[in-house]
Amino acid sequence: MVECEFPECTTFGAVIRFALELEKGASGVYEEMANELKSGPAAEAFKALSAAHKKRGDLLEFTRQQKLNEMILEPIQDMNRNNYLINTKVPKGIDAKSGAKFAAKIEDTSSKFYLDAARIAKNLMAEASRIMDKLGKESQANKAKLETL
Amino acid sequence: MALLSEVKKDYGKLKNYVNGEWIDSNSDKVIDIENPSTGEIIGQLPLSTVDETKAAIEVAHEAWWAWRETPPITRARLFFKLKELMEGQFENVARVMVQEQGKTIDEARGETRRTIENVEVAAGIPSLMMGYNLEDGAAEGIDEDAVISPLGVFGAICPFNFPAMIPYWFWPYAVASGNTYIIKPSSQVPLTQHYLTKIVEQAGFPPGVLNIVNGSHEVSDTLMEHPKVKGISFVGSTPVAKYIYKKSAENGKRVQAQGGAKNSLVVMPDAVLDRTVSNMLASFYGCAGQRCLAGSNLVAIGNVADPLIKKFVEASKKIKMGYGLDESVNMGPVVSAKAKKKVLEYIDSAEADGAKILLDGRKAKVPGYEKGHFVGPTVIDQVTPDMKVAKEEIFGPVVTYLRMKDMDEVLDFIHSSPFGNAASIYTQSGKWARDFRYRCQCGNIGINIGIVAAMAYFPFAGYKNSFFGDLHGQGQDAIKFFTDRKVVITRWF
Repeated sequence: MVECEFPECTTFGAVIRFALELEKGASGVYEEMANELKSGPAAEAFKALSAAHKKRGDLLEFTRQQKLNEMILEPIQDMNRNNYLINTKVPKGIDAKSGAKFAAKIEDTSSKFYLDAARIAKNLMAEASRIMDKLGKESQANKAKLETL
Repeated sequence: MALLSEVKKDYGKLKNYVNGEWIDSNSDKVIDIENPSTGEIIGQLPLSTVDETKAAIEVAHEAWWAWRETPPITRARLFFKLKELMEGQFENVARVMVQEQGKTIDEARGETRRTIENVEVAAGIPSLMMGYNLEDGAAEGIDEDAVISPLGVFGAICPFNFPAMIPYWFWPYAVASGNTYIIKPSSQVPLTQHYLTKIVEQAGFPPGVLNIVNGSHEVSDTLMEHPKVKGISFVGSTPVAKYIYKKSAENGKRVQAQGGAKNSLVVMPDAVLDRTVSNMLASFYGCAGQRCLAGSNLVAIGNVADPLIKKFVEASKKIKMGYGLDESVNMGPVVSAKAKKKVLEYIDSAEADGAKILLDGRKAKVPGYEKGHFVGPTVIDQVTPDMKVAKEEIFGPVVTYLRMKDMDEVLDFIHSSPFGNAASIYTQSGKWARDFRYRCQCGNIGINIGIVAAMAYFPFAGYKNSFFGDLHGQGQDAIKFFTDRKVVITRWF
């Protein structure tokens, strides 16, 4: 199981930290499921998703380092972390269908998180908002893809 | 939320960086460097002697001519290299800053970004310091040129509130233009500058081009008195800025001395309240109110006063205090026990003068950080323009709330202040915004923005007792400060 530590989303840095934990969690879950299934289309899809989530983590690190502007570091007071927690404990002996369902739930939560973060970040940093929006939409697409497995 | 890891627990006794080497000071005077969030001692700073400072000036002077002869494009390449190395150390620079200064990690990351931006702008030196010429400018067949030349050794005396960025308002421009430099870091927060200077060393700047001399007023006075130092840059309080300006000028030096502030944030009746309040929180409580651009007086015009204060106090109550290495923290401590005492005295004085404390941060405690110098968000209502808290710089997370009837009254109030650093207006009216920016006699004006922090390619301005000098830090102003114009008239027989 991938251990994640989700902070309260009270600052820009904490929102990015939350997102990084989401990516770490998702990537770890997919890797674990790919290993569990060993081969087949579902295992391949999980492998690809695991790599994609790692890459998203890099994009978030880049965003934190390059886009942060202390002129608009306003406190964030309306994002409740409890709405965006994901389950990273993969059930033992999971099959492809249950795995896809498990993963779709992660993508769904992840998408809600990013789209809410994008809405809030819009008032703070338009560039960060665009990146959050992109990640949210990607998660929606991932969910749709997983539902076809 | 777990804390981000500290770069080091103990930084030991700091060394001076002179002639490309890290050397111990001979001084027996040493002061402790404290983490203001935990109260832990995290290093020691030697107070270098007059002779050590003079030796550093001689070294910088020796290094000057060879550096001046280094082509601007070659100098620029070192700044590109420096930028690349700084990006690699970005997170560590920010974390050292949190440890010694107390600001939050987001604030420290924002400051690190601005520090790097000054390096990026200085790297454009071949274009920035071009001169100008006119064929037949003097007469037929006689051309006239103005070339921009460096002057020699410059020095900076730095404050505690921005340990990374403020020295970088100056030295990259000075050195990129072909001067050599001496930084005296703040004696309260020298660690970040030391960390950064190790990166400068890796970038490969020649020995003696940038030097660090730790210490206190002996170092500053020596820099201001020494005939081989051409100019001084300073940021700090107004009384010290005045002293620096006078003493440096008496010794024939160029000076840019940034002083204190008492910034008003003005809210008009048509302001978008939710966005306004959110933005103002960052201005009043960011860096625990220890920015020279921090909001201090909150001035409401007309009937917005009651709904505004209600929303503002509610939002202020949600500010989370703590050690800045916890990423969910909105506000850290003030820098020292002495600074905290001063802030608390101001709140006491407001109460004694008859103002009403709506939110009281005097007894704020952060569990696990009992030795930290925390002052909670404080909102004081019924403040009048004659009260001490409305006139003097508090430098803490304290909001003084004033109610006024119109723009004329608020501008009279702002102009009655000896300071002229910054002022902001929150409105949806272009007419009011235009009126404010046109009439307000402050160096930095915000329209729906509470921290008017000029980017690296603009000057960090300031009027009245907030700035002594004529050329500011950053951008083209900095290039002009660190160079002179030499006119050459040419005729060929």
